[in-house]
Amino acid sequence: MSDKGKSSSGRGGIVNSDDQNGGVVGSKAPPPPQPQQAEPGPPPTKDPNGGGSGGGGGSGGGGAPKPAAPQGRKPPELPQVERSNWLIHMHYVRGEFDACMRLIKEQLVDSGNLCEYALYVQGLILRQRGRIQESMDAFQQCALLNPSSVNNLKQVARSLFLLGRHRAAAGVFQDAAKQAPDDWEIAHNLGVCCMHMRDFAQAKDHLRRAAGLRPHESTLVQLGKIHIIENDLQHALEVFRRAVELAPENPDLLSTLGLLYMQCNQYQKAFEHLGNALTYDPEHTKAILAAGSIMQAHGDYDVALTKYRVAAGNAPESAAVWNNVGMAFFGKRKFVAAITCLKRAAYLSPFEWKVQYNLGLVHLYTEQYASAFHFLTAAIQLRPKMPALYMLLGVALSNLDDAENCRLAYDEALKVEKETGSRSLDPLVALNYAVYLYNSGDASASGRMLGEFERRLQERHGNAAAAAAEAPDAVETGKRLAALLNVGESLLWRTEAPAAAAAAAAAGPADSAAPAVHRAPAGRDQPKRFAGAGGADELRDIQRAPLPPTEPPSHPKPDPTRRPINPQPDF
Amino acid sequence: MSEVNQAGSADAPTTGDGAEVSGEASQQQPQQQSSDKWLVALKDPTPGLNTLSQCMVLTDVTGDGENRLVVADLGDTRTNMRLRVYKGTALAMENTIIDLPVGVAAFYLDTNTPRSPAVAVASGPSVFIYKNMRPYFRFTLPPLDLHPLEEEIWAAAREGRASAVQVRGIIEDLRNQGASITGRSQRLLALHPDQLQEFVEAYKTAPLRRLSVVTALDTLKKSHSEEDAISCLVMGTEACQVQVLDPQAFTVLAKMQLPSPPVFLCSSGLFDVDYRIVAACRDGVIYQLRRGAKEATQGIRLRASAVGMIRVDKHIVVATMDRQLSGYSTKGKELWRAALPAGVTALAPLSLPSKGFNAALVAMDNNTVCVYKDKLEVDRLVTEDVVTGIRFGRYGREEATLVTVGRSGGLAIYILKRSAKFVDGAGGVGGPPAKQFSRLPLPKKTRLFVDQTLRERDCAVSMHRQFLHDLYRLRLMTAENYVQALETKATPISASKEDPVKLACTVQGVGPVFRLTVGLQNASLTTAIAGLGISFAYDGLLYRLEKVYIPVPYLVPGLTYNFSTIVECLTDKGIADAIKVYILKRDNDSPLVTGVVNMPVSESFVV
Repeated sequence: MSDKGKSSSGRGGIVNSDDQNGGVVGSKAPPPPQPQQAEPGPPPTKDPNGGGSGGGGGSGGGGAPKPAAPQGRKPPELPQVERSNWLIHMHYVRGEFDACMRLIKEQLVDSGNLCEYALYVQGLILRQRGRIQESMDAFQQCALLNPSSVNNLKQVARSLFLLGRHRAAAGVFQDAAKQAPDDWEIAHNLGVCCMHMRDFAQAKDHLRRAAGLRPHESTLVQLGKIHIIENDLQHALEVFRRAVELAPENPDLLSTLGLLYMQCNQYQKAFEHLGNALTYDPEHTKAILAAGSIMQAHGDYDVALTKYRVAAGNAPESAAVWNNVGMAFFGKRKFVAAITCLKRAAYLSPFEWKVQYNLGLVHLYTEQYASAFHFLTAAIQLRPKMPALYMLLGVALSNLDDAENCRLAYDEALKVEKETGSRSLDPLVALNYAVYLYNSGDASASGRMLGEFERRLQERHGNAAAAAAEAPDAVETGKRLAALLNVGESLLWRTEAPAAAAAAAAAGPADSAAPAVHRAPAGRDQPKRFAGAGGADELRDIQRAPLPPTEPPSHPKPDPTRRPINPQPDF
Repeated sequence: MSEVNQAGSADAPTTGDGAEVSGEASQQQPQQQSSDKWLVALKDPTPGLNTLSQCMVLTDVTGDGENRLVVADLGDTRTNMRLRVYKGTALAMENTIIDLPVGVAAFYLDTNTPRSPAVAVASGPSVFIYKNMRPYFRFTLPPLDLHPLEEEIWAAAREGRASAVQVRGIIEDLRNQGASITGRSQRLLALHPDQLQEFVEAYKTAPLRRLSVVTALDTLKKSHSEEDAISCLVMGTEACQVQVLDPQAFTVLAKMQLPSPPVFLCSSGLFDVDYRIVAACRDGVIYQLRRGAKEATQGIRLRASAVGMIRVDKHIVVATMDRQLSGYSTKGKELWRAALPAGVTALAPLSLPSKGFNAALVAMDNNTVCVYKDKLEVDRLVTEDVVTGIRFGRYGREEATLVTVGRSGGLAIYILKRSAKFVDGAGGVGGPPAKQFSRLPLPKKTRLFVDQTLRERDCAVSMHRQFLHDLYRLRLMTAENYVQALETKATPISASKEDPVKLACTVQGVGPVFRLTVGLQNASLTTAIAGLGISFAYDGLLYRLEKVYIPVPYLVPGLTYNFSTIVECLTDKGIADAIKVYILKRDNDSPLVTGVVNMPVSESFVV
């Protein structure tokens, strides 16, 4: 400070004389009035350079200075290199990129490409316009001009990242981290780079460090993503819970958390968070889909459909939306509408096996077995290792009188179950097989299969009461078949009297075979949102909420606030 | 002022009525309609102003009780920069400014009567102060510390001890070490080596100074809080400093350091008692400086850069690039956040002391100016142009006036109707989205669909059998054709391992003369093929070929070779036939590849 005080006071006189000359020499200056030459009011006590750059200001408007000043005269004062940095910044933040680029060009010409801030903003704008390579060149120039700036390094690294060169980006970030070890942004970005390089352990380390330095929801979102990729739902839940605490009004985070709860079978909590997400953004498609699927699972089809209308308006090209809308109509027994919606979903996403599965299911219901066969075959082509698909195919084939292929389909279902090693075997596969075997006259095999059904049912539901509560249609069908086969002794329903009369039951199993396979595939679009969702989850989802076909079909709860959704009659 | 009032009253009936009609409609569609609370006093598209909110101020420059609009026009940012004063609807005065104006502020610097405020215009490294719109004083920021080495090398150059090249070398080293160097040295580095000598000669005798640039300007009351009490100027500089300037002696009273150059400043309190200066900086952080502080380090980190920062009541309201408007308490806690429909271009406070109403005016690039009371939009004014500069306050004798400058340079003045009331929640938030009540677009069930469904129900089994039957036949046919193709070498790429040749034929022309081009490519990666020939099989009654056999030279891997022959159609019956192209290999009895070219019908006969 003392040095500065001395030098500036020593120069005071020179500057003033310089100022006077400058006024003459600065020929490019706009003509007077020059305000600084007005009589000073109160004499400045400490302002040795009061009129300091008078001449400088004069040439300020004149563009690049010419050093070739007249010999022996004082040269024109140089305009500041950074004179319009603030205006560049203003144009940039207001999104006036064209004006900004013009100004940057002028300033760069003026300063011989040495104005760091102008280059920096140029890089930012080029990046926004998608010219990543050029933007990186600009940032590299910045880094050359000012190698000590961490910001420049960060931007270079970010450009590399955007160009997909994650390893190079991570390297530059590491260099930057040496200069600024406590910068959460660097730690965060390093984590994201590592994630893209599939180095999840390192990525988690970096992201946790970033979250420790400055908790920011974007860091937690990335960390959660890694946990989801690694199929570590508990940790993912924890991370997203923290993120929601940080940003309680972010509908994206809330709906992601809701979906995670769904995957963990905590539907109450899931619905809570999804509801919150919809409070903050009633048009959030992801949250609508997830919340709607929970409603569907509870048979609340009208409310779900009301919500889906918003989603369908916002994302009319989403196969998931149309799939769920279709299944909601299916739940309301409006099969034509269901088929229309599902076909639209299939058109939008022809390789989505779930849509094909649902189409097959609906066609089984409308007794269009030939069509059902086609959709199920398509689904099997897309997803070969699904026992439920082969079982449905078996049902379709048994109705098409294709005995040989039908048996093959059921055998394949059992084989696939063995191959995939499912933890919980589907009782319905066994039941439908038993029904088929009985209908084809193989009573002993049917009895064996019925025993298998029995075993699986017990395994899944524990006791007879729970099974009867959760899958009443399957149990009912099982009972009737047992009565027909006269193999009641060892079975669950032993104590109950064989109610079904033989005459009525003779045709019974065949009819009930199709209803027995019926479950609500609602909400099956959720698992596919997560990369880590395994086959077991999907299986669970399909079997989650078997819809009792005994429920009175066409009497949805009257809801005076809703208008009728679908005037089309069932057929 | 009379002009404004006249203009206002002349316009009032028409715009008022029009707006009222649209106001009815706005009940259903609040998004589209402009508010009816404003009277248009002036709409002038011609002034060609290029300015920002911080370069506009409404103040009584002459002390006659009528507020004028003082605008610093940025011109084209190099020339034509002027300070303009509007009175009523007309331009009253104009002064040239010599460097880019950064901000304009009105403040009282003395206690003389009649009370008239001075106008400060920050520009480049200086602040120009006008009294009664006459130049009064110029304050230039004190120069910054020089690097001793830089000072020394220029001194050496002055005394002839160092050559231009040496000067440049030293300065380049300095810069690479990250030292801050003067503008002169920066320019020296940008020069071509030929110009070095000349430049050093010209400048070596001039004193070396490192000047900063003012980046933001604000005022702060000195010791009394009355409306017309003496105020200090608060300046932000490119060197990341905030300086408070004494209005009477023009000395720097306080100097504070920030981590980044300030963009917006908001001061409150009294300098002599206690004060706070809130600075939004270029690094996207809002710092707070208190009395006695030397520097600020911790601040509110914004999600995106600030586009505007103002003080409303006790809160700081910040508009950011990511289309958000946020309110922060003085302690730095985010109180609320509102999503905006478009990008923000300007932000200004709206204050109605008579009604005790304070809000934020947000100009956006969808041609609207909205009034936000906290997170609620309470009014929306649709403008003809994107508004880039906005000020609300007393103009002329009218208390509540809104002045806007558009992107294309137009000036507009609106007067708030005295009957206007801003009601919370008028923006129509809440309730389920409208889409919930629209119908799902489902097609009607058609007769055809029903018929087909019924038919399938009746004869699903036979349909399925027929389908399987046809499927087997299709598979059989496919297999047969495949075998046949293999046998006749009719695949487009030869199956043989030694001579992988790819064949592609094209026919050009409309007839009766065609050109048949045979393209051959050696599909092998390494080995060349030699000893091939092209032969054709065709109906001699229909076609005549110019060349019946084409010898093929050595085929280099990867390249495509084209061989062509003229085909003349001999018939005038309008029929066409296929020509077979054989690729033959010497000493081989079957062709390597066979291509079948279906010739087009010769058009001259058809016509």
